[in-house]
Amino acid sequence: MDLKPIDTSLILAKKHKMKKILLIFGVLSLLIFIRPALGFSSDANPKDGITSVEAQPNVDQGEGVFTNAVHGIEQFYNYTGFANATWGHIIMILIGIVFIYLGIKFDYEPLLLIPIGIGVIIGNIPFVAGNQTGIYETGSVLNYLYFGVVKGVYPPLIFLGIGAMTDFSSLIANPKLMLLGAAAQIGVFGTFLGALYLGFSLPEAGAIGIIGGADGPTAIFLSSKLANGINILPDGTTVKNLIGPIAIAAYSYMALVPVIQPPIMRLLVNKEDRKIRMKPPRAVTQKEKMIFPVVALLLTTFISPSALPLLGMLFFGNLLKESGRTERLADTARTKLIDIVTILLGVTVGASTQADIFITKDSMMIFALGAISFVIATMGGLLFAKFMNLFLKGDNKINPLIGASGVSAVPDSARVVHAEALKSDPHNYLLMHAMAPNVSGVIGSAIAAGILLSFLA
Amino acid sequence: MMLLNMSLQADQISEGYVILLTGLLIVFSALLILSLFFQFGLPLMLYVYRIITKGRDKKIKDIPMSADENFTGEVAAAISTAIHLYLNEQHDDENAVLTIKQARKLYSPWSSKIYGTHQKLK
Repeated sequence: MDLKPIDTSLILAKKHKMKKILLIFGVLSLLIFIRPALGFSSDANPKDGITSVEAQPNVDQGEGVFTNAVHGIEQFYNYTGFANATWGHIIMILIGIVFIYLGIKFDYEPLLLIPIGIGVIIGNIPFVAGNQTGIYETGSVLNYLYFGVVKGVYPPLIFLGIGAMTDFSSLIANPKLMLLGAAAQIGVFGTFLGALYLGFSLPEAGAIGIIGGADGPTAIFLSSKLANGINILPDGTTVKNLIGPIAIAAYSYMALVPVIQPPIMRLLVNKEDRKIRMKPPRAVTQKEKMIFPVVALLLTTFISPSALPLLGMLFFGNLLKESGRTERLADTARTKLIDIVTILLGVTVGASTQADIFITKDSMMIFALGAISFVIATMGGLLFAKFMNLFLKGDNKINPLIGASGVSAVPDSARVVHAEALKSDPHNYLLMHAMAPNVSGVIGSAIAAGILLSFLA
Repeated sequence: MMLLNMSLQADQISEGYVILLTGLLIVFSALLILSLFFQFGLPLMLYVYRIITKGRDKKIKDIPMSADENFTGEVAAAISTAIHLYLNEQHDDENAVLTIKQARKLYSPWSSKIYGTHQKLK
């Protein structure tokens, strides 16, 4: 029988294997038991974990998972916008949608209203505070982008682009029209006084008043310096943060210039005056155009140094355009750069209208004051143009309508004046004339901002 | 307390009037100075500049004082619009027929490996 020896060898081999397995198992179990003693422990409470698993009977485990899942979903729901939405959020989201609609449907300043509209929606998505999501939470991405608004970085960059776009030749050809730009600034100071009567503090009133300048970047610049929620008032209280409402009011009324201005024009200027044809402006030499930004920078900033960031960049941009040597820089400033800044500015200003901060009595008052300031500014320009006409004769008479473009909503108010003049006389083209008070309004409102800043900061 | 608040507000309003008047005055004066400069100062400066840079053979009275009255901004605008339109139009006249040129690449050490794979061994 030759099978037997094979069998024994098999049994021996099996025994050997079993020994090996037992040895390995024994060593492993020993290691597990003495692990805490040897200091191999990786988790802090392994024993607790083991006991808790062991303590749970098998039947309860299924139910536990289910409750945990429900609890998880509940917790997730609590983090969603549906759970945290308030009426304020919904109203603001609707306003955002209206802004977008106005921008697309009626073409009211779409480059502003669409970024702001979407910004309003972004800023009003309800969320649980503390996860670095919102624009007012330090460290959030939106907060970093908002930095440019709070510290007034974006407005001077926008002014650089505006300077590189603006042709001051109609102003150089007819310098007396500059006074119309000054006259419209009565809107700024009138609103400033109105805000004081409504109980706002001096710096807050100054920031609200600048809405009358009809200049978005200037309004943001001034409110970031005066009503930023950081400065301390003389009576020890902190100034309110009004950047959001002021910026929204300024930009939305600027977009509504074609709605606000024409009725006032028709009210204050009679039909005969509306038909006045103005002498075409003389051609301006390149030398004059180049000298203008340098001289205007020197004169205006020596008078109102606080407006330096705005006026400095405005005239710098204009010199880039007119020098004839820096076309590349001018081109970037008036296209890519201003586009980038507009995108960031629009969306962050929109997002700053977070409902809990934005929907307040103050905001409503600011909106009312903003509307009044536009009306006062338009009236100031129109009446001053009529006043100027008393001293001008014959050919030199100006069409009082162009006074309305003294508010610095460039170039919208000039376009509105042009359209209004065409209604009375289809061959009276006022656009070039209206651009003069329009651009001087930009300079005027920046100077006014500088004055308010130097008085109130 | 209320009395104090009221007096504070009255103070603020009186200060507000001061800012209103001075502010308007400064804005007006700034733009007035600017307009006066461009009305009178700049033409004078340009005239002086012409005198300085005039050639020896020219006399001061030869330098024209005023610009061409007939050449207005409107004429300039019309000319520049015409040029702009013309330059824009040029683009439209571009030949729309596309031709694909066959490019035979010369030997270059940069492409020799690829080149080599396409050559038949002899």
